[in-house]
Amino acid sequence: MEFWIIGNKAALLFYVIFVSYSVVRGASPWEMLAYLSYLCVNMAIPILKKQRRFQLLGSVASAVLVALLAFRMNTIFILLLPVNLYEIVLLLGGRNRFALLLGLVPLFLIPNDEIPVYLLSTSLSLLLYYALRVHTEKLEKIGEEKETLRLDLQRLKQSLSMNEEYIRQSKYTIKLEERNRLSQQIHDEVGHAMAGALIQMEASRRLLGANPDKASELLGNAITISKEGLERIRLTLKDMKPRSEELGIHRLRLFVDELSANHSINATVTHAGDLDVITPLQWKIIHENATEAVTNSLKYGGATAIEFEIRVLNRMIQSVVADNGRGAGKIVKGLGIVGMEERAASAGGTVIVDGAKGFRVTTLLPLQKGG
Amino acid sequence: MNVLEIRNLTKKFGDFIAVDNMNLSVSEGEIFGFLGANGAGKSTTINMISSLLRITKGEIQVLGRNIVKENKFSKMNIGIVPQDLAIYEEMTAYENVSFFAGLYGLRGSLLKERTEEALEFVGLGDKHKALPKSFSGGMKRRLNIACAIAHHPKLIIMDEPTVGIDPQSRNYILNSVKKLNQMGCSVIYTSHYMEEVEDLCTRIAIVDHGKIIAEGTKEQLKSIITDTKETWIGVKNAERLDLDALKRTTGVNSVRLEEQTVKIVSKGEINNLNWVIQQLIRDQVEISSVEEQAPNLETVFLTLTGRNLRD
Repeated sequence: MEFWIIGNKAALLFYVIFVSYSVVRGASPWEMLAYLSYLCVNMAIPILKKQRRFQLLGSVASAVLVALLAFRMNTIFILLLPVNLYEIVLLLGGRNRFALLLGLVPLFLIPNDEIPVYLLSTSLSLLLYYALRVHTEKLEKIGEEKETLRLDLQRLKQSLSMNEEYIRQSKYTIKLEERNRLSQQIHDEVGHAMAGALIQMEASRRLLGANPDKASELLGNAITISKEGLERIRLTLKDMKPRSEELGIHRLRLFVDELSANHSINATVTHAGDLDVITPLQWKIIHENATEAVTNSLKYGGATAIEFEIRVLNRMIQSVVADNGRGAGKIVKGLGIVGMEERAASAGGTVIVDGAKGFRVTTLLPLQKGG
Repeated sequence: MNVLEIRNLTKKFGDFIAVDNMNLSVSEGEIFGFLGANGAGKSTTINMISSLLRITKGEIQVLGRNIVKENKFSKMNIGIVPQDLAIYEEMTAYENVSFFAGLYGLRGSLLKERTEEALEFVGLGDKHKALPKSFSGGMKRRLNIACAIAHHPKLIIMDEPTVGIDPQSRNYILNSVKKLNQMGCSVIYTSHYMEEVEDLCTRIAIVDHGKIIAEGTKEQLKSIITDTKETWIGVKNAERLDLDALKRTTGVNSVRLEEQTVKIVSKGEINNLNWVIQQLIRDQVEISSVEEQAPNLETVFLTLTGRNLRD
């Protein structure tokens, strides 16, 4: 933008030089000095880019210089004043109406025949100044938007990687739990059975010569026990499927129980459909959104009862948190709601917040069948 | 090509978000239904498409062109039938249509031709000279439609065109929507009459609180809730019934008998009623009634939003 200001000043300066040459014919050394000092001061302004205070100082100095020159030497110099004034206003970030008034002040001090030229140059400068201002504001706005988008992106990326980490961890946890369960069960049931069968068989070997009848009975026992053990192994293996559903709904129940106990709120959980299909990540979203919705209900709703409902439909999972508080006619999206929406969106879902009859927050997540 | 493309559309009124980051596309030749309760954001969206409201954020394209940047182009290609009647009571039917068509730049013989065509189309061909003051509600609605279609738009937007009119006019309007569609117009249709939307639309979006919560053909929408349907068959002599044979019939998932009614759950996409009835006849069971309990859009809406459409 400063190139435009420099251009503006240069054009005006050339005009001033041209007029004083064509009128006076030949420049006095004083005038030369005047032009050069004007150039010096004004070239310093863009050079001092980073130091706004010095820029301002330069601009003010230039304005004073121009005014001085206009009084002492040639009134034509006054043409250079408005640019400096606008520049000062621009640097101060002030209002343009104020700038317009400033430009008109010298009007009373200059001879009548120079007023039209002055008005022309002032309005041209004003136009330029105004355009620059609009342009700068736009640029600033775009920059700000870019910055918020960048922050958003960063935050979302972070939460994405956190989700990935969560999936990894929950996979690991489930594996671990499964392994523990298996070894426990094998130890408790199969192990004991095998040990029992072994004892009977050893006893039978010892009795084989002395008491064949008893030995045969013991062997029979061992066979029965082994059969049962085999059956147990089969059952244990069949039961191996991970129970993420148990984890999910139990955690929610626990949360609801705590809620009822700590806040004297009547909270209930209902569910319908096959909860098995809900993935750990979807459970995480359901939990976090439920927690957020409850916070909201407690804070604003004045609710005495909260209902949690999880329904697995054919192609969607629907999780509803509804309270019986006063709700809200118009819902203003705060960080909480935006957070819920983002979480749902990360799994391809949506959140509806309704305040007509108490708060009712519905999280809808798509269900991938057979996936 | 998509007739209408909406990307990340948002409309705010102060703090209130009427339309919330909406994404949508309507392809050529579709009748696209917009289903939602009052205040869901349907009319706000439509008003933005027709440039009556300024867009807070996002973009709308009509026939691939941005409606803000190429406002005239989009207006020329959209015909809008607003929810509130937009006709002049003091002008004749002919003058009304010709006035609106004139706004779209039609002149001379073309204007005359199109005006007559539009009036004929909505069944007001014999009412050229009549004043809308003397019209019934349904006739006014039809005139309103004529005003919107005289300039042959590619996309016609109808915002609740059947509110408060007699059944005859309603049928007429529904049929003309189908006819317009056959003639190559794409239509966006909003209503909270579920049957209309179900009957007319090739694709439907369910809108709530300014968001599209589900979108697709009516079959797809229903399949969000369930893939099965229930058939209730009332029978007189239930003791003759062979439940196991019924269970083996094609497409049947489960069968249960409740007093005098056999309730059969079967796969939604299979029409097995013939087989079921044949089986009943074979068992010499006397059938007294047959009722199909397939999910409709109303149940879809109710299930997803927890509210009735006409709350």
